[in-house]
Amino acid sequence: MTLTKLTRLASAAMATVFTVVPAYAEDLNVILFSMPYTNGLAELEADFEAATGMTANIEVVGQDVFENRITLSFTGKTGDIDVVHTPVIQVQRWIEAGWLQPVTDGVNGMDSKEDILAGPLDAYLVNGDYWALPFFAETGMMAYRKDVLAAAGYDSPPGTWAELVEVAKAVHSDDVAGFAMRAAPGQGFNMFVFPMIMRAYGGKFFADYPNDLTPALNSPETLEALNLYIDLINNYGPPGAGNFNFSEVAASSQAGKLAMLVDGTSIAAQSIDPGKSQVAEHMAIAPVPEGPNGRSPAIAVHGIGIPADAPNPEASFKFIEWATSEETLTKIALAQPYPDFTRASVAANPEVIAKYESINPDFLNVRVDMLNDAIGHYRPLLPQWPELGAAIGEHINAAVNGLETPEEALAAAQDEMAEILAE
Amino acid sequence: MNQISGVQPVLQRSYRLMLLPAVIAVLVFAVLPLVGMFVLSFTGFDLVKGWDTGFTFDNFTKLASDKRFINSVWVMLALSVFGVIAQVIAGTLIAVGLEKIIPRWRHVRGFFVVPFVVPHVAVALVWLSLFTPTLSPINAFFDLFGITIPAFLTTRWGAISAIVIADTWASFPFVMLLILAALQGISTDLDEAASIDGATKMQVFWRITLPLLKPALLMVALFRFIETIKHFPLIYVMTNGGPGRATQATNYYAFIQTFQNSKVSYGAAIAVFLFIFAAIISFWVARMNARLSDA
Repeated sequence: MTLTKLTRLASAAMATVFTVVPAYAEDLNVILFSMPYTNGLAELEADFEAATGMTANIEVVGQDVFENRITLSFTGKTGDIDVVHTPVIQVQRWIEAGWLQPVTDGVNGMDSKEDILAGPLDAYLVNGDYWALPFFAETGMMAYRKDVLAAAGYDSPPGTWAELVEVAKAVHSDDVAGFAMRAAPGQGFNMFVFPMIMRAYGGKFFADYPNDLTPALNSPETLEALNLYIDLINNYGPPGAGNFNFSEVAASSQAGKLAMLVDGTSIAAQSIDPGKSQVAEHMAIAPVPEGPNGRSPAIAVHGIGIPADAPNPEASFKFIEWATSEETLTKIALAQPYPDFTRASVAANPEVIAKYESINPDFLNVRVDMLNDAIGHYRPLLPQWPELGAAIGEHINAAVNGLETPEEALAAAQDEMAEILAE
Repeated sequence: MNQISGVQPVLQRSYRLMLLPAVIAVLVFAVLPLVGMFVLSFTGFDLVKGWDTGFTFDNFTKLASDKRFINSVWVMLALSVFGVIAQVIAGTLIAVGLEKIIPRWRHVRGFFVVPFVVPHVAVALVWLSLFTPTLSPINAFFDLFGITIPAFLTTRWGAISAIVIADTWASFPFVMLLILAALQGISTDLDEAASIDGATKMQVFWRITLPLLKPALLMVALFRFIETIKHFPLIYVMTNGGPGRATQATNYYAFIQTFQNSKVSYGAAIAVFLFIFAAIISFWVARMNARLSDA
């Protein structure tokens, strides 16, 4: 009996998984990977139907499943996806592979285009065309322990990286480490945070991006930044900081073992969240420190775009316009832990402000300031970036952990950049 | 006689038919992908740039000069050699202990098999937290006495040791089970005869048990060696190949080239290298085994 039930259940599950929903003109297949916004969007299918008269099957899957699914669909040119999650870090690669179609006309025709935050939108401006509409913009932020800093005589957080070293030195103890930042190798790990220091010191990846792509990583400016990064992690970080990723950074802070951290908004938000942090009442938010060359907060943007072989681009565009509209973003910002919205009007919404101010009064303001300071090509927008970022990240990590000297690491990374670009 | 010779071919035919599903399964799921991998490795298939179907040796000539690949082979050898040694020693000692020294404890065997059934990703997550000083109960314990344990995952040999330790924990039960089976095949008469002649337990182990276990030890070492060549989840979860590239083993490097850099053909060429490498090792071990059995 139970077995029959199980078999029936299993076959029903298989049917759900393998049924290919036919793409009628007004029935859209949307594939996204899981994050608070996409989970929130999946619950609003009915709203989309009410607003446009069309229906959408919003499928939210894990990121690895997503990668497999879209690679199969795009390389097989099946045309079974009408709207696709489009991370900015992949956009150049997808454009080169011919997997996306531009949405320029639609974007320019939108009444509310001005309301979209410029940095995230411009991240999708490649070769003079827009390729997606942003729904998520994470930027860099500092979170710190007011009590620990105050005990060492600091009433305000450090404003520059040099001051940050000084404060870290003053507050570092066996119980509470001075500072932590991602150090694990990867274009989305240490290479998400290290350029904040590198660019603040005037270091850059290329001689003159995007006009002259001669690698220019190996410079005195980047070396100075790398030395500071190494000093911070090895001398004022928690034990084992040389292998830390964002989860270890967040966990150390939540356990009260960390005085300061610089990471993305979502990690900063977790470290001040009373539901997660043991020391939430002592936590505060501050801008990313500056350097001699100014401030360069990290930025990571996600959006939604239209695959090249989507059969009905007009209908697909209606979906992405609705999904990134003020109304939809506001609903999700209120329903989900989603402070990473991409419209100024949502940031001005009293209910949204009230929700996030109750967690931390400065959070939304600092976030908007950081987004305004961030440059769209914080990580270069090149098809080869995932490969370049991984290679550079491995050498930076080797330098942090003493496997290479900082000078060797930069020279080797620059050589590999040249090799990768030459292919 | 006539009757029998008439029945035999019919039987044989039906036996062959019964084998057919297995043969088809092997063809479809093992041979075909393998052929596909070989074909791919001689073309230029890049997920982004498209498919250059012309026959080429480029992928293999590039391998010879690829510093990251050569580094990955050394990393793989270090992980495999140290891993296999540790697992064979641990597994054999526990098996001999359970069988010979404390036979009354036989019922605890099940307990030792537990690590073997834990998925490697879960093993990796557990050991990652044990090797992360701020999260590790081991560090917390030693901190009580003012002793600071170095951070394993931030040095080259520390990270390699960490993966070897995690792999040994997860895989020694496999060695233990095979060696236990082999021990049960060895007649106890030999032990008894030796002890009547005055041999100590240690002498019995070194002079009698261990030599008789040699073929089993070789086979189990081979199985484990091939398995360690396929290292992936432990590296992916515990170190991301770091620090730097210190734990970027060849299999992990093939993954990076294929899925991160979209160079499917180059990844296939690395996989072909691994296949041939494993085949050579297997062939060599099989010959050694044959020589042992002859002797």
